[in-house]
Amino acid sequence: MRRVLGLMVLTAITAMPALAGEVKKYGAGVTLNEGVSVAELLAAPEKFVGKKVRVDGVVTAVCAKRGCWMMITDPEREQGIRIKVEDGVIVFPMEAMGRKASAEGIFEVVNPAGEKHDQAQHATQAGGEHASGASCAEQEKAAKKASATYQIAGTGAIVY
Amino acid sequence: MRLRRLVVAVHRDVGYFFAGLTVLYAISGVAVNHMADWNPSYRLEKSQHQVGVVPEGTAAEQGREVARRLGIDAEPMSSVRVGPGLLKVFFEDRTLTVSLPTGEVEDERRARRFFLYEVNFLHLNKGKGWWTWFADAYAVGLALLAVTGLFILPGRKGLSGRGKWLVGAGLLAPLLYLVFFR
Repeated sequence: MRRVLGLMVLTAITAMPALAGEVKKYGAGVTLNEGVSVAELLAAPEKFVGKKVRVDGVVTAVCAKRGCWMMITDPEREQGIRIKVEDGVIVFPMEAMGRKASAEGIFEVVNPAGEKHDQAQHATQAGGEHASGASCAEQEKAAKKASATYQIAGTGAIVY
Repeated sequence: MRLRRLVVAVHRDVGYFFAGLTVLYAISGVAVNHMADWNPSYRLEKSQHQVGVVPEGTAAEQGREVARRLGIDAEPMSSVRVGPGLLKVFFEDRTLTVSLPTGEVEDERRARRFFLYEVNFLHLNKGKGWWTWFADAYAVGLALLAVTGLFILPGRKGLSGRGKWLVGAGLLAPLLYLVFFR
């Protein structure tokens, strides 16, 4: 009888899926009532850098080894953003993949160094404008934005 | 004498209480210590398929079509376009990454490693909650075991005898590592 009971307990523990049919909260969860779309974040990142934001979408990737990040993709716009958390503080399970999620944290620049703008290489017109019509400052800003990467330093999430 | 009896009793009872967890943590410790070489909690298997060009439609329709062409009976949990021409189809234990223009599919199946997933879950405190406090208590228990163990035996075989050399040697390894590799 004891052996049977022990086997039942062990089976229950090992067979229990992590997320089936429930809302799972990680870290501080989400506190902001409204989210901002990934597209909006990436279209004008300078507006949001350093600010607390919430994004909603589908979990399309999870760190396989430490669960220290997950990618949330907006299915309407096909754009995703990484939610990075401190190792061990929050751990996202791989079972979260494919599920809807909301995550919150500070929007940050990961790679702020953009392409170096070499003014000597460009033919300039009067007033510092390039042949394309954009000024040196605008060209540099576009280059930085193109190669900079962004993520959210996550403080919490819910997966459902 | 009474103190020694107390030391022995504490060492014995704390040792019994935490014996099982110590073995579990030891197994998990070796597993996660080599995380650079393998995934200690999940078994991941990747394979490639070719399903042909997928007709246009919603992500869900395309996901179902890819699953049908691969002979997968299960209904996808979700299908999401993650970039131009790139579709991900999610199942409970499987993810298909589909190149829509070429029909190439990367199929990643995942399974929790039997027993290792559970011990790592405990050791790495993935669940948080009250386990954090129990793990703290375990750490205190380990420290008690170490300290009481030093004083169990008297004389030549105790701390004043061979014990002091072994304690010193045991501390030397981490010290040397820190000096030369930190």
